[in-house]
Amino acid sequence: MAVTAPAPVRRHIENLERVWAERPGVLGWLTTVDHKKIGLLYFWTTLVFFAAGGIEALLMRTQLATANEDVVGPETFDQLMTMHGVTMIFFFIIPMTTGAFGNYLVPLMIGARDMAFPRLNALSYWIFLGAGLFMYSSFLIHQAPNAGWFDYVPLALRRYDGGLNIDFYALGLIFNSVATTLGALNLTVTIFKLRAPGMSWNRMPLFCFAMLATSLALIFALPALTADCIFLELQRKLGFHFFDTAYGGDPLLWQHLFWIFAHPEVYIIVLPAFGIATSIIPTFARHRMIAFPLVAMAELLVAFIGFGVWAHHMFATGLTSTTLVFFAAASMMVVVPSTIQIYAWLMTVNIGTPQFRAPLMFIGGFILFFVIGGLSGIMFAAIPFDQATTDTYFVVAHFHFIIFGAAVFPLLGGIYYWFPKVTGRMYDERLAQVSFWLTFVGTTLTFFPMHIVGLLGMTRRVYTYDHGLGWDAYNLVETIGGYILAAGLFTIAFNVVRSYRRGLPVGRDPFHGGTLEWTTTSPPPPYNFPVIPTVTSAYPNWDEPDRAEDLRKLERGDLVLDEAHETPESTVNDAVPSAIAEMPPESPWPVIVAATVTIAFFLLLTEHYASAGLAFMLTLLAAAGWNAHEPEEGVG
Amino acid sequence: MTAATLPVRRAYAKGWWGMVVFVATEATLFGTLVGTYLYLRFQNAHWPPAQLAKPPVLTPMLLTAALVSTSIAMHVASRAVSDGRRVRAWRALAVALPVQLVYLVWQLHDFVDLIHVYRPQASAWASVLVTLLGADHAHVVVGVLLTAWFVLRLSTRLTRYRAVGVQATAFYWHAVNVITVVVLVVQVSPYL
Repeated sequence: MAVTAPAPVRRHIENLERVWAERPGVLGWLTTVDHKKIGLLYFWTTLVFFAAGGIEALLMRTQLATANEDVVGPETFDQLMTMHGVTMIFFFIIPMTTGAFGNYLVPLMIGARDMAFPRLNALSYWIFLGAGLFMYSSFLIHQAPNAGWFDYVPLALRRYDGGLNIDFYALGLIFNSVATTLGALNLTVTIFKLRAPGMSWNRMPLFCFAMLATSLALIFALPALTADCIFLELQRKLGFHFFDTAYGGDPLLWQHLFWIFAHPEVYIIVLPAFGIATSIIPTFARHRMIAFPLVAMAELLVAFIGFGVWAHHMFATGLTSTTLVFFAAASMMVVVPSTIQIYAWLMTVNIGTPQFRAPLMFIGGFILFFVIGGLSGIMFAAIPFDQATTDTYFVVAHFHFIIFGAAVFPLLGGIYYWFPKVTGRMYDERLAQVSFWLTFVGTTLTFFPMHIVGLLGMTRRVYTYDHGLGWDAYNLVETIGGYILAAGLFTIAFNVVRSYRRGLPVGRDPFHGGTLEWTTTSPPPPYNFPVIPTVTSAYPNWDEPDRAEDLRKLERGDLVLDEAHETPESTVNDAVPSAIAEMPPESPWPVIVAATVTIAFFLLLTEHYASAGLAFMLTLLAAAGWNAHEPEEGVG
Repeated sequence: MTAATLPVRRAYAKGWWGMVVFVATEATLFGTLVGTYLYLRFQNAHWPPAQLAKPPVLTPMLLTAALVSTSIAMHVASRAVSDGRRVRAWRALAVALPVQLVYLVWQLHDFVDLIHVYRPQASAWASVLVTLLGADHAHVVVGVLLTAWFVLRLSTRLTRYRAVGVQATAFYWHAVNVITVVVLVVQVSPYL
């Protein structure tokens, strides 16, 4: 564009390039506040955690491949099992969806130049990294968390689990909650306040609705987990009493608070996947989403109902039957918004003219797995069935269909779908199709036999089993499936790395997508859009007159905002511009603040409370340093 | 194109919204703590445990009344910055700060006493009460730091960024004051 563009356009672009330039090199990555660079940092970091969690899973599957296997001992198995769950949920899916996809895509989809709070965004990444390193450092001293990702008391109390294992778990999750909360807060305010002029709620992409529902669920769910972990640490470290009946506590308190967080958490995990599905389907079906407002409301409703169903994880704990019936009914209610979405996806593909390229293939796999996992999930709402299958592999099968089949498949499709946008190159379609079939077959082989073996009585979390129980063949198939799945995931990684170097260059919009990220160049410039786009429908990239008008605006200098580091703020409902926000420049303080917090958490772990206090003082000083240089907007 | 030529509608800034969302998550944390107190209360026949005296009420009530009254000063400061009146805002903050500080120091002193008298290591009741009060005081510490920061900042200049900061701080204080009243109600609930 810059070569043939008329002089005023060139001048605006040059101004924008200058104003939004960041330091290059490694130092630039440490101090960046660009949502796209932070999104990429999140992406690669969470991929490393994904690989770690995957290796843990493969080790477990190898141990369980045949009866009386002796690959890892029981103690190591407990640590692998716990860390697999903790890693996949807290250090892979949540940061991958909100941190990587949300961060990179939400500002681009709503026509903003960055997140609402760019430095806070960097801080959430660095704190997330610190929390991940904190959690994984436990393996160095062979004291990784070992009481399951749900960490039930009394097993997790000091009396029964005397090492640092559970302290790593509780402190690590409190630490990580800070990062996740800040990220969710940032996404919420970005979606509220930075939408492009004209993007009222009814024109906001469904992906952003899903991210909003996820963020709000995180905002209201995480405090329960944080409080629970604070109670646990106070009891373990300082001798407080919350969970022991002898002093007036109650062990079920842990389970209530944990599941008040962890059931909404299931929807937190799967909602971004819905969002990705609603982005990929219209593009490859060449048709806008059917029942757009219903799907938007269903996304929010899923997050809302998710708060009222936690006790269905506790049907076998001896709650009163009135309580059980209430929670069973609430659990069945979740079917309604979920089904609305499934029908909307299927009908959109049915009405449109679908092209089955890799991203849409993964969405197909996702819908199938989501239906299977949803149907087995509804079975648990029947209280007697739940009580019969509690703590068997049937449960493991169900939730892996949901959190691997339904939550991760769209992520994999999303990686292919937005790969050209992020890199400016096309992935290898044939290899992508191969990777789809490998992961699809692998997932089915790994998780489907778990239903059967669960009904045959195999309990969860066992590190080995005997011959002659009728479980051997199923377990072997599951392990083989696990390795096929790993091969599929490896193929995706190989495709991404190779295409990044050798893929064919693509233009701004290889798939003819409908949302705003496809209107800008691939990869997007640091300022995202030369002109802040004005939006008149939910699929603005398909509104050609509007986009032509954007180019004319660029010539006129309308809504270009190239004089300073700025992005417009708008009103929450109608997205009418309300102010011009000056965005902060790159800053070293987020990484410094995160470093002091990391030090403080290690000191808390080792019970150096006074030193930890000093480290938190340093955090405050760093926060003051952060604010010493503030955006000045010259009113007074 | 600058802000002056844009069709601007008056609305709360993103910084204010950030504080609203932050307060939402903190309020949920307190909801969880109060919920825990009530949950355990109904698991126990004696709450507080029979041999313990009930917690003090008069001093916390008077202190909380003083703290809640600073919401007026914070409101004045918030209105003043949105009208661009730096000195008036500064004065309001300077009135609020000493009251908040006295509240905090007094409460922390009593908090240390309370820990020694009721010993969280001896009962779940004392554990949850100490945690609840500790969390509340921690939020007051943050509020005091915020007020002090803006007393410093507004002594020189008022910018839009700082104005949004003062409005967000005022909102934070209103929320902390409501939370403090709720915590007080929990503290005096054994008398109800």
